Amino acid sequence: MTIQISHYLILSALLFSIGAAGFLVRRNSLVALMCIELMLNAVNLTLIAFNRWMPANAGGAVPHHGHVFAFFVIAVAAAEAALGLAIVLSLYRIRKVVRTDDANLMKE
Amino acid sequence: MKDLLLYLLPIVILFIGGFTLMLVDAFQKEEGGLAVPTAMLHFAAAAAALALWPYAGNAADLARAQVAFNGWLAFDRTTLFLDITIALGGGLTTLLAGSYLAEHKLERGEFYTLITFASAGCMMLAGATDLIMLFIGLETLSLGVYALTGFRRTSARSQEGALKYFLLGSFAAALLLYGSALLYGMTGHTDLAGIRDALGRAVEMPAIAGQEGAAQFVAVQQTVRDRVTILAMVLVVAGLAFKVGSVPFHMWTPDAYEGAPTPATAYMAVTVKAAAFGAMLRVLIGVFGDTSGPASLAGGWPGLLVWLAVLSMLIGNLVALAQSSVKRMLAYSSIAHGGYILAAFVVAPRAESLAGGGGSVGQSAAAAVLFYLLAYTVSNVGAFGALILAGSRGKEAVSYEDLAGLGKRHPAVALALSFFVLSLAGMPPTVGFFAKYNVIRSAIEAGYPWLALAVVINSAIGVYYYLRVMVKMYMHDPQPGAVRAEPMSSPGISLTLIATAGMVLALGMMPQRFYGYALEAVKLAAAPIAAAPADAPPANAN
Repeated sequence: MTIQISHYLILSALLFSIGAAGFLVRRNSLVALMCIELMLNAVNLTLIAFNRWMPANAGGAVPHHGHVFAFFVIAVAAAEAALGLAIVLSLYRIRKVVRTDDANLMKE
Repeated sequence: MKDLLLYLLPIVILFIGGFTLMLVDAFQKEEGGLAVPTAMLHFAAAAAALALWPYAGNAADLARAQVAFNGWLAFDRTTLFLDITIALGGGLTTLLAGSYLAEHKLERGEFYTLITFASAGCMMLAGATDLIMLFIGLETLSLGVYALTGFRRTSARSQEGALKYFLLGSFAAALLLYGSALLYGMTGHTDLAGIRDALGRAVEMPAIAGQEGAAQFVAVQQTVRDRVTILAMVLVVAGLAFKVGSVPFHMWTPDAYEGAPTPATAYMAVTVKAAAFGAMLRVLIGVFGDTSGPASLAGGWPGLLVWLAVLSMLIGNLVALAQSSVKRMLAYSSIAHGGYILAAFVVAPRAESLAGGGGSVGQSAAAAVLFYLLAYTVSNVGAFGALILAGSRGKEAVSYEDLAGLGKRHPAVALALSFFVLSLAGMPPTVGFFAKYNVIRSAIEAGYPWLALAVVINSAIGVYYYLRVMVKMYMHDPQPGAVRAEPMSSPGISLTLIATAGMVLALGMMPQRFYGYALEAVKLAAAPIAAAPADAPPANAN
């Protein structure tokens, strides 16, 4: 059996689903952050698998849009994680909670 | 080529300004004093966009710019119109923030840097014609706005709002990204023009042509592509719908709006909406709005989006009725306003096909979207500004009860709040009326009378809770012993409100003129989006 594009796509779809399901089910904000990272990395895998699979254009070269996109996603994910952890930390300092269930001051 | 760089001016002004503000803030001895320079930066960006307006009227120039920037950003009048709206919203909220932060002892320079970068991100999102650019713009604005929401570091509510906004916003961004990745995989393009072009063609496989079973294989591939494209479209639209806070992706809106410092609330209500709806305009109408392709997607999504529109209106308005906090009421009403704008989206492609491809009715619907965004920006900034003015340190005006009797104690403040609330409710001669009128008219023209009826009924529900603000201010007396809002004295906010009120009235008195500009803006937008792919392959594709 050879590893084909479909294997990568199924793997990334699974990773994305696990991340999404984890985000919706788990109530710890740190776990939620990790789930988001998992989803973003699933996207990176998809992008790179697709780029690998892209046919060459008329000049015989393969465009690198997918690779470029993946680099941007990595950079932005890092910035996002930094900000997210800062917010979690800031809330923890005031309320000593990291669970999203406990962040309920504004329920009406 | 060099002259084309001028097209970047609005964004460049904000980015360079943002970096300068950061340096100034780091080296100045005492906090404060950055509000006016930041507002000036925004107004300079608006002026630059206004100055570019005549040059964006030439289709050949636009195509040239499109090629020069590899199809990453569009510089058509749609972008400029949105840029002006964003810069206006950002500049006015910064002026409000100057007095608010000083009054509430929150004055720190980061606020202005964050707002400036977020505005630049908004403009990138509004002008993006490439999925990569769209994502970067979206994240630039989102990261800024998350930080602004949690700006009141000692307040648990502010942090909670920021956490919820951040988590749900990042989740939405991940959905949008996965959709983008699938679109890229199905078409081989990240630029919207290329995607539109590729989706317009049937799947071809020259390598296996003529072999046994080739036709069946190609048919299977076509089905796969169509299904995955629909999934990708749903994911991308869901990501953008999150940003504009439309039902069922609205859960973060009330908490983030309530927790954020009020000027930040005003900022995210107006500019983020303008940018995200602009991106939606390009994705939904620009890419999937073509009714002529072999696998036309324009037949599918309006039927789905109409539910989002109607539910946003209905749930936004009904829940807004039950609120006791004015800030939360404005949050739910912004969900409802998002619903009215989505109603115009639903109409646009259907109208296009009715009009036989030319699409004058579709254009009027798209213009209604732009006009609504401008109208909503000035009205909402005014409403939040008046709410800020009505409170002072320790005596903020947040709930209806805080406002009781304000009409007797401080008639000027009460008058300002009433005026902007009436514009949000859609009373003539304010601009809010004409914004809704345009949506309703294009819905009727496109053959959606029941959608028009839904907008009318929902506006009527809206009037009830908007008028409740006025009833509280003028006809109720505060409970004895209750905490009353004490208006702050701030010439800066008063001047901003007078200027905003002037715009609300000017737009309301001359709606045809400004609607005409919006119409011009969408007329030329269609051309480069459609024309770019064939003769302009992205230069970085080699």
